[in-house]
Amino acid sequence: MEGRKYEAKKITKFSHLFLYLLFFSANASFESSFSFSSSSTNMHTNNWAVLVCTSRFWFNYRHMANTLSLYRTVKRLGIPDERIILMLADDMACNTRNSYPAQVFNNENHQLNLYGDNVEVDYRGYEVTVENFLRVLTGRHETAVPRSKRLLSDEGSHILLYMTGHGGDEFLKFQDSEEIQSQDLADAIEQMREKGRFKELLIMVDTCQAATLFSRLYSPGVLAIGSSLKGENSYSHHLDSDVGVSVVDRFTFYTLAFFERLNMYDNASLSSLFNSYNPNLLMSTAYYRMDLYKRPLDQVPVTNFFGSVMEMTHVDSAYHAFSGKTKYETPHIQMPSSDQSTDQAEQQELRTSDASIETKYSVKEVKPGNNHLMGQWKALLDMVEDTDAFVNYGLLAMALVAVISSWVLS
Amino acid sequence: MAENMKQQQQEPDICSRTTLPGSKRLLLTLYVFFSFIIGAPFFLKSRAIYRAPLPFKSIESLDNHLSMNPLLFPCHFHTVFLGFGQENQNMGFAQELEFLMFQKMQHISGSDRVCGGCGDNYSVSVTVDYISGCFQSGALENEVSWPCGSLDLSELEQILASDAAFDEYIESFLQRNGGLLKYRGNAYRVVVVNREMENSYRTVIGKHRHAWIYGKISEGDAVSLAAQLFVNFFMNGGIGEGLFSKGKGEFMPIAADGSVVLSFSLLNANPNDWVFDWDFRKIDEIFLSPVVKALAPLANISVESQILYHTPKASYSYWDENLASYIFSTNDLPFFVNSNEWYLDTSVGAAGQSKILHFVVYVPSADECPLVLQLPDGTISSTNGFMSPTWGGIIVWNPTSCSTDSRSARLSRHTFSSQDLVQVMEVFMGQLRLLFGLKSYTSYDVDIQNIVASEKGFAEWELDVLVRHHAAYNLFSSATTLQSLSKLVQSLPSMIVMDEIGKQVKLSLEAANLAENNASLGMYDAAEVSSREARVWAEAAFFHPSIMSILYFPFEHHVAIYSPFFVPVAMHVFIAAFKETMRYRREREKYWAWKNQAPAL
Repeated sequence: MEGRKYEAKKITKFSHLFLYLLFFSANASFESSFSFSSSSTNMHTNNWAVLVCTSRFWFNYRHMANTLSLYRTVKRLGIPDERIILMLADDMACNTRNSYPAQVFNNENHQLNLYGDNVEVDYRGYEVTVENFLRVLTGRHETAVPRSKRLLSDEGSHILLYMTGHGGDEFLKFQDSEEIQSQDLADAIEQMREKGRFKELLIMVDTCQAATLFSRLYSPGVLAIGSSLKGENSYSHHLDSDVGVSVVDRFTFYTLAFFERLNMYDNASLSSLFNSYNPNLLMSTAYYRMDLYKRPLDQVPVTNFFGSVMEMTHVDSAYHAFSGKTKYETPHIQMPSSDQSTDQAEQQELRTSDASIETKYSVKEVKPGNNHLMGQWKALLDMVEDTDAFVNYGLLAMALVAVISSWVLS
Repeated sequence: MAENMKQQQQEPDICSRTTLPGSKRLLLTLYVFFSFIIGAPFFLKSRAIYRAPLPFKSIESLDNHLSMNPLLFPCHFHTVFLGFGQENQNMGFAQELEFLMFQKMQHISGSDRVCGGCGDNYSVSVTVDYISGCFQSGALENEVSWPCGSLDLSELEQILASDAAFDEYIESFLQRNGGLLKYRGNAYRVVVVNREMENSYRTVIGKHRHAWIYGKISEGDAVSLAAQLFVNFFMNGGIGEGLFSKGKGEFMPIAADGSVVLSFSLLNANPNDWVFDWDFRKIDEIFLSPVVKALAPLANISVESQILYHTPKASYSYWDENLASYIFSTNDLPFFVNSNEWYLDTSVGAAGQSKILHFVVYVPSADECPLVLQLPDGTISSTNGFMSPTWGGIIVWNPTSCSTDSRSARLSRHTFSSQDLVQVMEVFMGQLRLLFGLKSYTSYDVDIQNIVASEKGFAEWELDVLVRHHAAYNLFSSATTLQSLSKLVQSLPSMIVMDEIGKQVKLSLEAANLAENNASLGMYDAAEVSSREARVWAEAAFFHPSIMSILYFPFEHHVAIYSPFFVPVAMHVFIAAFKETMRYRREREKYWAWKNQAPAL
C-alpha cells in the first residue's frame, strides 16, 4: 500500500514539473523585443525595390510573370536597375517547354514581352534561397559580393518588397525545397530598422494565405498588403492556351491594371490602390495592415514606393574659389516646391500588435458541404481559443497516458 | 527451482522468502539508468553552441553615456580690438568686454547642446590692443595669444583692398608671431579694427580661422557682431536653421568605412550632333586634388571619371520664344535623371559598401539646345545646376553655338577650355558643399559683406565644423550599432558567435573611448580618425556574414527533434529501474522477515 501511494505521488510531482516546463516554453516562444523609434525625422532620399519570385518549374510560370510585370512597372515609373534587386529562378524564358522562346507574357493577348529589353536579374536560379534573401535584407554579405547584388539603402529610403510564390500559414516556400517563416521575416525587418536601412517599407505578398506572412511584424514604419487571408487561396487570373499554363495571378493583374493607368507625373495615393481591389474579382480578400505605419494612406502617393521621385534642389550659386572673383551675387534661396516626403516629427508609441493580430482576422468559413465530420471538427477547433495551450495540454495528456500504460503493463 | 516452488506452496506465509533476492536484474537496470544520468551532461555539452563572450555591459554603458552626454569639442573664441580710443586703458574694460561677449554668445546659441558642436564648453577671451600697450583677458591670461602692438594700422589700408590678401596677411602675421598657440581645441579669432575716418564698417570672414571687422564701429556693436560671427559661423558652420541643423552628421555622404567615391561623368546626349571631351587628368591635378587633400581628415576620397554617349534625358522641355531657348522648370527636376540609359553606377573602384557621389555634366542634343533651367519666379538659373542629397549633382552645359550647320564641326571633338572648366568646377564645388550640408554660396546675412572662398573648396573653419559633426555622428552610430548587435545576440540564444566578432567589438569599444578622450583634449582630427575606426569595427561586427537570423527555433522544435530519441526509451528505463528497485526492496524485506522469524522456529 505504501509503495503504491508513493508511486502515485511521484507521478503527480513529475507531471507538475512537466507542466511547468511546457508552460515556460510556451511563454518563451512568444518573446520578441519591441523598440521604439521615430523614423519621421529623416528625409526621403530614394526608392528601392526588392522583387522576389520564390518558385521554379514550368507550371509556376505565372509567378515569374508576376515578378517581371512588377519589375517592368517599377522601372517605367522611374526606379533604376541599380536600385532594384530582382530575384528569379529564371527558368521560364528558355525552358524547352516554352513555345515562345525567350519571351515571357503576362497576358494571353501576348502584347507585352516581359523578357524583352533591359531585364537585369540579380539573383537567378539556385541563388534564390532563404539565406540569400535574408542576407539581402539585412545587408550581411561576404565582402566579395558586388554592389549590384546588395541592398544599399539608407535611412531615407523607401523600399518596396514584393514576394510571390506558394505560401501557407505563416510561411512562404522557396524553390520547392525550403521555406521562410513569418517570424524570420519579422526579425530580419527589425534588424533592418535598427540599422537604419529603410525609412518606410511596403510589403506586397501574392501567395495563398498571404496575410499570415506579415502577421508577426513589429517594426514601425512598415506597411503590408497581402492577396488573401488565412485559410483563403489566391487564384490565377487566366490560362493562356498557347503557352499552356496560367500566366498571371489575380492580385498582381489588378495591381498592374491600376498602374497602367498611371504615369510618372501622377500622384494617386496608396489608399486608392488598396481600395481598387475587389474581393469578388480577386476571389480572395486583399488584406492590408497599417497599424505599424504612421502616415494616413490617402496622403501617401504611390510614387513614394513604386516610382522614383528624386528630391532635387537647385544650386543657387557656384562656389567662386577658382577664378579669384571677390564679388558675389545676391542670393535667392529656393526650396523644392513639391515636398511630398518630409514628415513632421510625430512621436507616436508603437501599439502592441499581439492583441490586434488576433482580432484583425478571424478564420473565414470555408465553403461548407464537403464533410459533415470536417465541419464538426472545425467547430470544435473554433471553440478552443488558445490553440497553443490546448496543444500543450494534449501533449501532457499523451505523456501521462504513455507513462501510466507502460507502468501498468511492465 | 521446483523445490523453491514446492516450498512456497507449502509456506502459508507469502511475505517471506528464504534466500536473498537476485541482484542481477537490479544491477542491470540501475546500470542502464545511471549511464543515462551520467551521459546527459556530456550530451548537452556536445550540443552546446559556441558563443564568444561579448562585453554586453560595456556596450550598454557606452550607449547610455553617449545618449546623455553627446560628444562635444572644446573651442576657444578670441576677439582682438584694435584702434579704439585710449580712454579705457585698463584690464577692467577688457574683462567687461569678455563678459559681455560671453553673455551675447550664450544668448544667441541658446542652451541646447547640438551633437558635435562646441556645446557650452567653449572659452572666450578678449584682447584690447593699443599702440602703447594692451590688455588681455580670458581663460588663458598668462599665455600670449596676440602679439601686442605689432600690427601697423596704417599699412592695413592698402592691403584691405583685397579681402583674400588681407586674409593671408593676418594669417602669416599670426604664424610669424606665435599667435596660433595650442589651445585645447581650435581657436577662432575676430579682429576688430576701428577706423574713425570711415563711414561704416565691413565684415569679412576669412578662409582660415579668423574674421575681421574693419571700419567705424563702437565696442558694443563690435561685441554683438563678433558674437554672431562666432556662434553662427565658427560654431555652426553658417548653416543656420535648416534641415541639417540638428544631427547633421547623418546626412554626410560618407560611407561607414570613411570613404567616398566622387564619380564624374560627361554625358553626350546625342553624339551625332557634337561630342564633348575633357582632360580629366588636368582637372584632377588643378581642381580636385587640393579638395581631396583638404577633406582627408574627414573622409578618404577617391575620384574617377567617365564619358558616356547616347544619353538622352527622361523629362521634356519646351521652346520659349522670349528667352530663345528650351526651358525646363523645377517641376521637371525630379524626372531629369534617365536612370534607364544613364549607366552612372559602374564604378570598378567602389567596394561593396562605399558611397558614390555622382557629378554629371549633361550636354544636350541639337534639338534641345540651349537648355536652361527656369526657376519658379521666372528667372533663369545662373548655374544651370541642381543636386539631389546623398546622390550627387548635375550641370547642364550648353555648347557655345547651338547650330549644327557646320558639318565639319560635328566630327571633331570639342574639349572643354580652361574657362569652361573653371565655370563647371565652381558649380561642382558648390554642389559638393551642398552635399556635405554647407551652403554653396556665401553670405545670406546682410551683415556679412563677404566670405573668402578657399581654393580647397572648404574653409578651415568649415572643415572644423564638418569634422566635429561627423566625429560625433560616427561615435553615436557605433554605439547604436553595438547596442543592436548585443540585443540581437542576446535574443537568439542558439546562434553561433564567432571569436572574430568578439575581437571586433572590443576594438570598437577601445576606439570609441579613445575618440572621446581625443575630443575632450580638443584634437579634432585625431578624434575624427578614432571615431571612424570605432564605426568601422562596429559595422564589421554587426554585418559579419556569419550572423544569420534564420535560427529561430522555438522550444517546441527542440522538443520535437529530441523527444523521439529519448522519451520512449527513457520512460521505459526509468520505469524499469524504479520498479526493479521496488521489487528488490520488497523481496529483501521478505527475506529479512523470514530471517527474523527463523530463530523462533
